[in-house]
Amino acid sequence: MALEGKVVGRNVRKVDGLALACGRPKFTLDLDLPGALVGKILRSPYAHARILRIDTSRAEAVPGVACILHHGNVDRVPYTTAGQGWPEPSPYDNFLFDRKVRFVGDRVAAVAAETEEAAREALRLIEVDYEVLPAVLSPEEALAAGAPAIHDEDDAEGIYDAQHNIAAAVDIPVGDIERGFAESDVIVEASCEIPYSQHVALEPHCVIAYFDEDGRLVLRTSTQVPFHVRRIVARVVGLPMEKIRVVKPRIGGGFGSKQEVILEPVAAALALRAGRPVVMALDRAEVFTATRTRHPMRVRVKLGAKKDGTLHAIEMEALSNTGAYGAHSLTVLSNTGSKTLPLYNKAPHLWFHGKAVYTNLPVAGAYRGYGATQGYFALEVAMDMLAERLGMDPIELRLVNHIRAGETSPIFEKIGEGREGKPQTVKSCALEECLRVGAEKIGWREKRARRRREGSWAYGVGMSVSMQGSGITGIDMAAATIMMNENGSFRLLVGATDIGTGSDTVLAQIAAEVLGVPVERISVYSSDTDFTPFDTGAYASSTTYVSGMAVLRAARKVREAILEVAAGMLAEPPEDLELAEERVTSKKTGKSVTLSEVGHRATYVVDQRHIIASASFVPEESPPPFAAFFCEVAVDTETGVVRVERFVAAADCGVAIHPKLAAGQLEGAIVQGIGHALSEELLFSEKGRCTNANLFDYRIPSALDVPALEVVLVDSEEPSGPLGAKSIAEVGINGPLPAISNAIYHAVGVRLTRAPFTPARVLAALRG
Amino acid sequence: MRLKIKRFHYARDVEEALSLLSAYRGRGAILAGGLDLARSFNPKLEGLIDISGLGLSYVHEQDGGLRIGATTTLTEVLESRAAREYLGGFLAEVVGQVANPPLRNQATFGGAVASAHPWADLPTALVAVGAEVRWVDQEGEHRARVEELWQGEFRRLLSSAVITEIFLPPWEGAFAFGKLSRNVGDIALLNCACGLGIEDGKVAWARVALGATPRRGRRLLWLEDLLTGEAPGEELWQVVREQVEANVEVGADRRASAAWRRAAAGPLLARTLARAAEKATARQR
Amino acid sequence: MQEAMKIYFELNGEQRYVEIEPGESLLSLLRRLGMKSVKSGCETGDCGACTVLLNGRAVRSCTTFAAQVRGKRVTTLEGLGDVDDPHPLQEAFVEAGAVQCGFCTPGMILVAYELLSKNGAPTPQEVRAAISGNLCRCTGYVKIVDAVLLAAQWKREGKWR
Repeated sequence: MALEGKVVGRNVRKVDGLALACGRPKFTLDLDLPGALVGKILRSPYAHARILRIDTSRAEAVPGVACILHHGNVDRVPYTTAGQGWPEPSPYDNFLFDRKVRFVGDRVAAVAAETEEAAREALRLIEVDYEVLPAVLSPEEALAAGAPAIHDEDDAEGIYDAQHNIAAAVDIPVGDIERGFAESDVIVEASCEIPYSQHVALEPHCVIAYFDEDGRLVLRTSTQVPFHVRRIVARVVGLPMEKIRVVKPRIGGGFGSKQEVILEPVAAALALRAGRPVVMALDRAEVFTATRTRHPMRVRVKLGAKKDGTLHAIEMEALSNTGAYGAHSLTVLSNTGSKTLPLYNKAPHLWFHGKAVYTNLPVAGAYRGYGATQGYFALEVAMDMLAERLGMDPIELRLVNHIRAGETSPIFEKIGEGREGKPQTVKSCALEECLRVGAEKIGWREKRARRRREGSWAYGVGMSVSMQGSGITGIDMAAATIMMNENGSFRLLVGATDIGTGSDTVLAQIAAEVLGVPVERISVYSSDTDFTPFDTGAYASSTTYVSGMAVLRAARKVREAILEVAAGMLAEPPEDLELAEERVTSKKTGKSVTLSEVGHRATYVVDQRHIIASASFVPEESPPPFAAFFCEVAVDTETGVVRVERFVAAADCGVAIHPKLAAGQLEGAIVQGIGHALSEELLFSEKGRCTNANLFDYRIPSALDVPALEVVLVDSEEPSGPLGAKSIAEVGINGPLPAISNAIYHAVGVRLTRAPFTPARVLAALRG
Repeated sequence: MRLKIKRFHYARDVEEALSLLSAYRGRGAILAGGLDLARSFNPKLEGLIDISGLGLSYVHEQDGGLRIGATTTLTEVLESRAAREYLGGFLAEVVGQVANPPLRNQATFGGAVASAHPWADLPTALVAVGAEVRWVDQEGEHRARVEELWQGEFRRLLSSAVITEIFLPPWEGAFAFGKLSRNVGDIALLNCACGLGIEDGKVAWARVALGATPRRGRRLLWLEDLLTGEAPGEELWQVVREQVEANVEVGADRRASAAWRRAAAGPLLARTLARAAEKATARQR
Repeated sequence: MQEAMKIYFELNGEQRYVEIEPGESLLSLLRRLGMKSVKSGCETGDCGACTVLLNGRAVRSCTTFAAQVRGKRVTTLEGLGDVDDPHPLQEAFVEAGAVQCGFCTPGMILVAYELLSKNGAPTPQEVRAAISGNLCRCTGYVKIVDAVLLAAQWKREGKWR
């Protein structure tokens, strides 16, 4: 039975909900800073070029221009923009400004000026002579013999094979793959491709850099990783870390795009050079082309199975396009295998191998799903093919093969975050129940048995399953501090980064549950490197699990301290006392004291101390959430138009601390996934310029594009998690691509393996 | 906004708007809703002349046709009874699909004619019904059918003019509109407007326009000829499918390939014609 | 040189007389005046984060010139209610779990406000159509639709001011 506490498991008010619903000025750019300069970036018009000469004299003469930075007047420090734990597993192949540009939109120079107009005018007047180099616009070209080397600088660090444009590579054999296939009764193979797609967080990347009254640099920034921002900016601009404070206010969505330290070093360098505050905000076109995207990837999956459906061998090969820089190149690639293969742990023979290659296209990075989305597309399409070949129901095939509680997979140990992982036994898994509930809700049996056809419209149902993780084993670290005010209320300080997910609320719920108070008695302050303890940040589905455990530990310490004080007041040992409903009560006598009485006594009266505690947590495992996805599609056989009519997802995220927020994560992820499946794709000219970098052409789903969508949270209890919880943020995005592709196959008998499934692609497939 | 506007004028009448416009010598622009201007990047533009106060926001029925003032917003068109009743709701069907409510609150009917985006839905519909644009310039009042106007250098022509009204003529038959796109919020990858008059079970006249090809909506005269005199029905629609795929002129843009447009145009037209025929037959009864 | 101009307009029930630049967007003016609920998400009219009410109708402030609101009535989310006295729509968005990051929320609430001012009993499909021009990347829209339907219900029950 899942835990339903006084606070946990209930839909309490989101702690920042009303303020946001009232439009309070809580976002990065809502702070007006008198005298702030406007920072703007000059971007490369070429996909690949060497800067021969840069002359800023005319630009500097524009009235109002404070400073201009470029490769000639800043220190050359190799670094990675990937906001990951230190040492980052991504190559140090970025420079604040370089002598070379590697994609259309790459940074050439930056200007700080009194007004936006002056900054724009200055950008226009910067003279740059380029030596245009041959551009590499696909992974195949990048790997071809004689391809130009994109990273030919000699001071980059950590590139797998710069000469051959390979940013990262993996090769993980388990068992004997050849024997595995030889012993298999049935073999199927699928190759699926995901193009460039973008997060489209509604708030564009932005930052304000200013100096506090002591002259320390403050970065108020739209980030998922405030502590990584501080570390990376310190390195790039050469300031000691203690001279930098990073503040994360409310954030208008991230989805991984703000797990990158892109604007902050530029704003910091401009502010330091000018000695003035600087505001920088990207426009939407820059967000599309010059922040980060999902890694475009082609994944080939070969499955070998026994007649009864048991998987015997799985080969997965991934070719990932990391674009011009290698942010997250190794780890996204690794996750393509590490978050997918353990799901089908019955196969003794595995081989996961792949490369992440450089191209002269926009830079890929972290994006919700983080490689798993790419992997599941191919894996789950292949599973659908296998089910057909075996004459098995696709659900049955999953039931035969999926991992169960108490089981493990060698992959957990083989693949970690840029290094080896740790062995792990799955302790909670309700995927069977997810499959049962989802199938029932969509009407799987009936719809699968009888295909509907209305005129040119053919209907079909398809399904997929997925898992993810909860944080990064042995690498993520979160800390929390809880202090009690004398009136019995609490201050919760966390480094954890609420980017709109509701993590401030979830963490307050965990604290409130332990401390026996309603959430309203806990004020949360998060993500300020000066005033909150450390947290690696909001990524890898980590916050509820990792930060939640830190909060749980801190809350338990505070609870102990409260009971100790109360023990003195009630003259009973702490173990005979219980804390609930803002009182400490004796289990024996029923006598009680209020938290306010405890607080006043501890603060002012006897044996004074501040009731305060901190705790850290590093996960020793990364318990996967599981989900099953079912959808019904309609395919217009004459035009290739696909409509998703219904979508059902059932997910196991352990105990849902806040069911509505958890469901909201799942709904949002699924609709992003539907966008990937039907319409989202960045397009490029033959010179590598993005031709649809706007929200008019790059279509994300609107409210009218969302099918009848039903999500179900299936109970389980994760013993290693805070009050039974594990993660939910990412797992939902892995399902739609394969589920929709499989449903199209059921409807019309053609496999769509290249996303998005546009009318043109679907019709071309239908016409063979 | 990246425009460097030096002055913003509120015109009190058409004459004032015209004289301001001529004084700017190509560096001024008429503003109705402002949507397309605000999205534009014309660095030459210095003056904006707001004509929203000229009393050009109205929808009047006239002998079964419709007169729509140039500054009437698309929302106002949708809210007008006359517009909703025009051609059995055809216009409302089209306008109701254009963009979304906040943009329809701002976009004007005259602005849609002046911009005449090739991918837009309204131009295709206006071509099909044979809408007439009325405008005023220094030389006086003018009128022209949209299909003729848009064939020429209309942007230059209208840059020194004020569009005052669009007239949609009456028709005895019925029209239907069709559109294909990647998702609901998307602009058309292909759109069409089809009108049919049915007499004695035969097509008496046909008006067929195909748009977003990726060019702006144009009539398919050969298809209109093919339809005229034939009996509407599945057999005819099958001929349409085949003939359109064989003969239609379409191109490619970043949104869709020519091959797809060629393949999809026939089904789109056939279905839309079938709906128009159904409505026309029902109307006849 | 740009000629500065001054206009009167009504902002959230108050008469304002302000200097503007002739090419300035309404988005820029409103944020300058402290109306930070008006968000900039694309500046091309495509996302809806900058939505405000102009004479009661939802428009994009990024594609509206400030000069166009002369003599008109502008309402931003600040004009609907604040945390100590929220509008029922604002309450409904929190209640239904429709607020994730909150960046699209001001625009969403304002288009919903216009819808409910015309149609007190919208169907879910009518709500979806009304908010279809306002993009949200967090929620999948499910709980936003729930919130608008909840607010409509409260309105029918006479719970609106």
